[in-house]
Amino acid sequence: MTAVAFRGIAKRFGALEALCPLDLDIASGEFVSFLGPSGSGKSTLLNICAGYVEPTAGALFVAGRDVTALPARRRNIGMVFQNYALFPHLDVFENVAYGLRVRKIAPAQIRRRVEEALGAVRLDGFERRSVLNLSGGQQQRVALARAMAIEPDILLMDEPLGALDKQLRKEVQIEIRRMHVARPRTTLYVTHDQEEALVMSDRIAVMRGGRLVQLGTARELYSRPADSFVARFLGESNLIGGRVAGLRDGRATLGAKGLAAPIEGHAGEGLRLGEAACALIRPEHVRPVAGGQRACVAERIFLGEIVALRLALPGGVELWSRLFSSDAPAGDQIEIGWDRERVSILPETS
Amino acid sequence: MTPAGAWTKAFAALLAALIVMPVLAAVPLAFSEQSFLRLPPHDWSLRWWNAFFADPSWLRALLTSLEVAALSCLLSVAAGTSAALGLTRLGPRMRALATGLFLGPMVAPVIVLAVGLYALARAAGLVGSAFGLVLAHTMLALPYVVLNVGVAVAALDPHLALAANGLGAGPWRVFRTITLPSILPGVIGGGVFASVTSFDEVVLAVFLAGPGVKTLPVRIWEEVRVEYTPVVAVAATIMIILAVLGSATGRLATRRAR
Repeated sequence: MTAVAFRGIAKRFGALEALCPLDLDIASGEFVSFLGPSGSGKSTLLNICAGYVEPTAGALFVAGRDVTALPARRRNIGMVFQNYALFPHLDVFENVAYGLRVRKIAPAQIRRRVEEALGAVRLDGFERRSVLNLSGGQQQRVALARAMAIEPDILLMDEPLGALDKQLRKEVQIEIRRMHVARPRTTLYVTHDQEEALVMSDRIAVMRGGRLVQLGTARELYSRPADSFVARFLGESNLIGGRVAGLRDGRATLGAKGLAAPIEGHAGEGLRLGEAACALIRPEHVRPVAGGQRACVAERIFLGEIVALRLALPGGVELWSRLFSSDAPAGDQIEIGWDRERVSILPETS
Repeated sequence: MTPAGAWTKAFAALLAALIVMPVLAAVPLAFSEQSFLRLPPHDWSLRWWNAFFADPSWLRALLTSLEVAALSCLLSVAAGTSAALGLTRLGPRMRALATGLFLGPMVAPVIVLAVGLYALARAAGLVGSAFGLVLAHTMLALPYVVLNVGVAVAALDPHLALAANGLGAGPWRVFRTITLPSILPGVIGGGVFASVTSFDEVVLAVFLAGPGVKTLPVRIWEEVRVEYTPVVAVAATIMIILAVLGSATGRLATRRAR
């Protein structure tokens, strides 16, 4: 069932097109991340969904109901902000109870639901603590509990881990994932951190310049990105620029300067013969192959079980390779190759 | 910072004396035995305190002052808080313009305000009425409230109101349960400034006073013009005590609220 449907939703701020007309369906219980650099329109999208920003055009449906003209307070949406936005003069209990008090729920039931919500974020016993004395991670968990206590139709999160340090970020990230698995709620999650999106999402929507570039599962986006922007944004990538030399049956070949033979791979959408494009070869697919291309190890970075090699090819092309430390060659010279099924030829984006 | 040198300290002491001496000079005079104002007094007595409290016109003036101060404090806090919150919703140019307008009474010469107000109040029949004086003092105190609350509003995280709104609270509920508690120190500070401003204001009060409406400063002014007895020092001492008490409670309240 569709929980959220965007129909031609767009937003202009004066001359700036913050969000181009967008159509998007999100299934009930689905966790969708909006991933993109700042200014890509992902936060605008979230704020339109919450009712804090009015769209210039289009309609928004939540659970089949048109909520476009509905003020934020009537939408029953749980929002989690990057800076937590906890009410500083209220204790943990009253923060979580706020939405329930507004809904005039009986005190005994409020107590039960607040305890439940705090239990879900593992903050039992924190009821009477001041929110000012909590750590960043604890504050964000209170904010999560506050948003969930009202049993929202959708949960919105705007870079909720942005203000946390790396260690805490991981912790809360796993916590959010755990809660979602235990009780799937339709969630729209905005982030610019690819790892967050990969860990938590059912689907990822990559945004750029107010447009939805690609929507798909993490696996789809990683193995078949729509263009070089998505390829760069998700994971490590080798992108080799060139021109499309052949195009047939969903396969393409790319002629690249500095490479003896053209690169063959899966053809992305929107390729044209003779136009600029690039080949994507993920570093883990660049492997030692006896009798393959000769390369020289220019740099070697030890990452524990993995070693990253910067390889210089004779024509001046450089490729990164990531190998298990045990597979890595000892010397400076290596012969490499890659599986052409794992290569993508993609349209170039600036 | 380097420690202050001897000259700096001497200069600071001189400045402090300049500020404090005129205020403190009134206090010994209030306990004088003579019938005229002279420093230092020869003999000490509570004679003028008895005179003050025996004269109903002094007591009435004190009560009028407190009444006018309380009412104009309430009015200016309500209006000034709304103004400070409203200012944040304006665009940068309109905000600068409106802020300048709100702070106007603070920079305009009081005597100019008094002349204009007197003409208006006469036309409206408000000369000699407590209500007219309350309105005038509200105008005079408004900038202090707008400034104090404005600082608190600037420090307020706009996401708090959004969060409360998203949880289902309407505008009035958001104000009552989230915004007001967060800016309360600024509101209390503005209120203290407003009452003190009204309590010791003399120029507008002289112009707008009537037989039924005389504030303490106006009564002191009249007394000084007729006979210059230490009873005015008693009135002044009472004013000092009340002003100090007022600011101290304001300080305490804001500290607790933080």
